[in-house]
Amino acid sequence: MSDEPWFVPSPEAAAGSAMAAFMRFAAGRLGRPITGYSGLHAIALQEPAAFWPLLLEFSGLLVEGDPAPAIAGTGVEHARFFPGLSLSYAENLLRADLTGGDDAIVVVATDETGAREEVRRGELRRRVLGLAAHFRGIGLRPGDRVVAIARNTAESVVACLATAAVGAAWSSVAPDLAADAVRDRFLPLAPRLLLFHGAHPYQGARRDLGERVATISRGLPTLERAIALDLEPGPALPVPVTRLGDIPPVTDAGAIAWERFPFNHPLFVLFSSGTTGAPKCIVHGAGGTLMEHWKELRLHSDLGPGDRLYFTTSCGWMMWNWQLGCLATGATLVLYDGSPSYPEPDALWRMIAREGVTAFGTSPAYLQYCRDAGLEPRAAHDLSRLRMMLSTGSILYEHQYDWVREHVGSLPLQSISGGTDIIGCFVLGNPLLPVRRGASQSVSLGYDVRVMTDAGPRREGTGELVCVAPFPSRPLGLFGDADGARFHAAYFAQHEGCWTHGDFLRLEPDGSARVLGRSDGTLNIRGIRIGPAEIYGILHHVPEVVEAMAVEQRWPAEIGGSRMVLLVVLREGLRLDRPLILRIKRELSQRGSPAHVPAVVAQVSQLPMTLNGKRSERAATDQLNGDPVRNRAALRNPESLDELAAHPDLRRAVQP
Amino acid sequence: MPSSDPRDPSRVRQLVVDWLDDNYHFGDAEAVIGDDERSFMQNGVLDSLGFVQLVLFLENRLGITIDRRELSVDNFDGLAKICRYVTGHPQFAGVP
Repeated sequence: MSDEPWFVPSPEAAAGSAMAAFMRFAAGRLGRPITGYSGLHAIALQEPAAFWPLLLEFSGLLVEGDPAPAIAGTGVEHARFFPGLSLSYAENLLRADLTGGDDAIVVVATDETGAREEVRRGELRRRVLGLAAHFRGIGLRPGDRVVAIARNTAESVVACLATAAVGAAWSSVAPDLAADAVRDRFLPLAPRLLLFHGAHPYQGARRDLGERVATISRGLPTLERAIALDLEPGPALPVPVTRLGDIPPVTDAGAIAWERFPFNHPLFVLFSSGTTGAPKCIVHGAGGTLMEHWKELRLHSDLGPGDRLYFTTSCGWMMWNWQLGCLATGATLVLYDGSPSYPEPDALWRMIAREGVTAFGTSPAYLQYCRDAGLEPRAAHDLSRLRMMLSTGSILYEHQYDWVREHVGSLPLQSISGGTDIIGCFVLGNPLLPVRRGASQSVSLGYDVRVMTDAGPRREGTGELVCVAPFPSRPLGLFGDADGARFHAAYFAQHEGCWTHGDFLRLEPDGSARVLGRSDGTLNIRGIRIGPAEIYGILHHVPEVVEAMAVEQRWPAEIGGSRMVLLVVLREGLRLDRPLILRIKRELSQRGSPAHVPAVVAQVSQLPMTLNGKRSERAATDQLNGDPVRNRAALRNPESLDELAAHPDLRRAVQP
Repeated sequence: MPSSDPRDPSRVRQLVVDWLDDNYHFGDAEAVIGDDERSFMQNGVLDSLGFVQLVLFLENRLGITIDRRELSVDNFDGLAKICRYVTGHPQFAGVP
């Protein structure tokens, strides 16, 4: 690692940032000087009851009620932020008094076909309120769940905000998720309303979704209605279908009062799959989500009026929900739907130049694609308006900073990391601090992020990422987990009193951070998080497979730096041959998604098992990566690791 | 009967088909390709991200270096084109 900063913000840029403005505001309110970001962060950790109301006041977010107490209850697991406040998430994203008023263009939606739609703030509000009125008319109530199979388009934004406007919870997946996987996610939510796109463009083809939507809707017995987000007629469904285009916007949005809901009212339900069980349905609250997204986007990313944020995402990833928050900062949201490399390999860069994107959010996988494809965006396009980049999804390697410097420009590149579980970041960028290659600039303001060591949680060093104090974007809980037992088991059982995130982290003395990988057996392949449990579930459709284990092996040649290895134990006497490998892959692709397909399938006679009889993905992962096997003594069959070590298809890649 | 000549274009063809099966079509590659002259891009055989992965695979497997300026539709958008390009590559010494 180089100690030389890769990028240093100018003193003028730092002083002009919203983070600096907030620091001056907090110093004034508290009546004492604050020295640097570390000073601000220290105050936030030491005096949370004073800090969070200050942040809320500075943000200008519209809330009503009593801001005291800022935090009710104790402990990360049970504390609640601002229980005396209420707000409307949608109102805060659409309020007319944001810079530019109702004429400001706040959404620019594009796709690979060249379609383009600009939506002004006033029009977006009228469309949202029109759909919200329709929702109320069909009996949708606060607390209901609305599920969506949605493209990354303006109408999806309208639908999501309308759902929030009536106090229902929005839960969406991308169009490419297989029907079984969608049903597994939506069924526990007992949704009453399904929103869907009937087709989506990808790589020059129009992919029809009708059959899949019909299959999914037949598998959701609580469904009462559906709304087609497309202009075209949708498929025949077992419930009445209305077209979004037939639902009129309101004509006078100013005459309609926004309904406000408690700060901790459910807003989004996201999904996370682990090593066992069904996907978790994670419920995020409106106030915590809004406040945290505002903090990350306005303060850490320094976005505001005049900015145009484009973040590569789909409706199936938390970054889609996250990016919506930029509307509350006064920035414009740019959407792009389709292949990032169609019709030209550099289609995305063309869009970024054409739309004047100022902040581009991407992933290490895409940056690697750009390098491998020999793209030279700066030479080919006018990127003069681009002033910052963000990257998330997996580890951003040091050489990728150099590619950005050479082929995009000298601008801050923020490596941000968090996840679905907290609908935001634990470590991210910071306009006051230098960028060092491979590191996130700071911990999220006010989040007491530490690494768990043998000596307990520490603010420096390497270990499991834990958060030891209440934070606003902690989920409200898991849907259908009335007593909180599953929520506790997922996040709090490993280290009592701490949120355990499932990442390994290094916290540096200068306050920066490096995410080192997953610690919990979930996989991160090309920036997509995959829960092995889903893979095991799908493999029930391959009767030859008795047992399986999916693990991640570091593989520098792969996009994202790692590959998925699937270990299989077959029925006695069977040997793994090419037709069976291809059938296993086909099942995983068709019932899961292309991301569920392993790079390597290898037959073994047994899987590493703990003395308690549980599969140990951790032991296999350590073995396949040449790392010390931390729990070897706790294995019932340590000889299984020797078999992995000797397997010709599983030899470790030479490390760079 | 597979050719024993490592430079035989049919061996390059099989290499690409197997790669498509392993990574994208899982046993259906021949059916999806349909005709060796058909466009990969326009028929859902491979997207641009996949092309880059295929290029990296061919470079690694065949020990050739493909100039990124030659990553064009004319050279790569179809099975026959890929076979022609690879077998005509000055560094191509055959499929090992």
